[in-house]
Amino acid sequence: MQPDVLRERLGPILGPRLLAVEPFAGTAGRVRFAREGALELFRAVRDTLGYRHLAMVGAIDWVDHREVFYVAWSDEERDYLFLSTDLPASDAHVESATPVWPAANWHEREAFEMVDVRFDHHPDLRHLLTPDEYAFHPLLRSFKLHEPEELEVKTRNV
Amino acid sequence: MWINMGPQHPMTHGLWNLRVRIEGEIIEEVDPEMGYLHRGIEKISEDRHYNEVITLMDRTCYVAGLAWEHLYIIAAEQALHLEPPERAQYIRTLSDELQRIASHLMWYAAFVQDIGLMTPFLYAMRDRDLVLDLFQSYTGARMTYEYNRVGGVRNDLPTGFTDRTRKVMDWIYARFVDYDHLCLDSDIFHRRCDGIGVLSARDCVDWGVTGPMLRSAGVRRDLRKDRPYAAYDRVEFDVAVADGADVTARYLVRMEEMRQAVRIVRQTLDWLDKNPGPVLADRLPRWLGAPYAPVGREGYLLKRNFPTGRGFSSVEEPHGEAQAYVVNTGGEHPYRVKFRSPVFANIAAAQKYLPGYRVADIPPIMGSVDICVGEVDR
Repeated sequence: MQPDVLRERLGPILGPRLLAVEPFAGTAGRVRFAREGALELFRAVRDTLGYRHLAMVGAIDWVDHREVFYVAWSDEERDYLFLSTDLPASDAHVESATPVWPAANWHEREAFEMVDVRFDHHPDLRHLLTPDEYAFHPLLRSFKLHEPEELEVKTRNV
Repeated sequence: MWINMGPQHPMTHGLWNLRVRIEGEIIEEVDPEMGYLHRGIEKISEDRHYNEVITLMDRTCYVAGLAWEHLYIIAAEQALHLEPPERAQYIRTLSDELQRIASHLMWYAAFVQDIGLMTPFLYAMRDRDLVLDLFQSYTGARMTYEYNRVGGVRNDLPTGFTDRTRKVMDWIYARFVDYDHLCLDSDIFHRRCDGIGVLSARDCVDWGVTGPMLRSAGVRRDLRKDRPYAAYDRVEFDVAVADGADVTARYLVRMEEMRQAVRIVRQTLDWLDKNPGPVLADRLPRWLGAPYAPVGREGYLLKRNFPTGRGFSSVEEPHGEAQAYVVNTGGEHPYRVKFRSPVFANIAAAQKYLPGYRVADIPPIMGSVDICVGEVDR
């Protein structure tokens, strides 16, 4: 499915909440949407476009904002579709995709603990890989493993 | 009553905890607890060069290292706008399929032990060693290979490799008959495996279940056919499918996949015999081979001039469909690397396929999922 076809079919459903459809990394395309339209977009993508299989949900910390992306697969199109939304870092939350794709459950739990994005109306938003009381969000850019400059000096002096 | 199966339990095949709520012998609810093996591979990748991440990929799934290297390397090459030579594509296809055989044999060995058959375990482990010997002869390692490079593979195949591999393939192909006899003719096998752990095709798709579990529900989906990568569009093979969606069906799918893997290996060997050539792209940026991150003027130029990009890859690894997403914002490290493990989704669906069966059914059912905790926790 080409990006302009996607725009034609999703445009009437989402209206101004559909921000852009662009070609993306060898997939059918990337749909950028405003978070208010999340559930309607998920339903449209699954039922109208036929992307029934949710492959993954992930989040990226861009320091000034956070991006949540969804990757869905369609058996008819034999291709992946990226959905992506930008959230302000101070108030990062988006509607959970679990009512539409049950597969989103664990992926959203992981994004929640790693990148500190909250998923509204998630049935069971607990930590998945880290302990429950773990107070850090390791995949935020502010979480440093080490000071790279120090390490570089050490390795070059050896 | 809640009981804990794990983190140390013969059923787990790794380090995780299956919490089960039971009513008598019947499973009412399950809650898998993961994270015992979490090493933060996605985080560590943010501080490493593109080639250094390959080391982590071997440790992501330690029984299917080459398949995971392949997954990452496709996404990384796409993000860095590099193209590997055709011979490297064939070597990767060959590695993937040898890895599929090794991984499925490991699964077979662990699975038959779960249901109380000891002899097939020894058979499978012995034959898996023959495949590991092949890996050792061209990658230098039996488990953590670090063989793929951004832009190709590290070295070409050694002299006599193709003949040796053909002999091993002939031997293993003949042994598959024995494997089937040991399991399918065994009364214990059928009593413990038939009709349990059923997950319908619809539930599989809803819960993101892929790989042999999905194909055992009769769905003909295989990324090697549907979205070919490497040299898979140039080799002939059939997609293994079974009906029943139970533990026996998953067994049948994996056995057929191994036969098809032998078929693919033979075709790639024929091609590799006839087509010598380079295995690594010759126009690689210098820093890709550097032992440390370029600093000073070189690093500055790199940061200024290197193109940015995003890479997305999807690979049919032995456990199912794995995805990688690499974000390159310029510079020597990836900005973000995200992996999707098929076993992650397959275990998440346990709350669909476990309830209703008995506690004694858990080892065969979870055994048939083919769990690799390394790639779930990453």
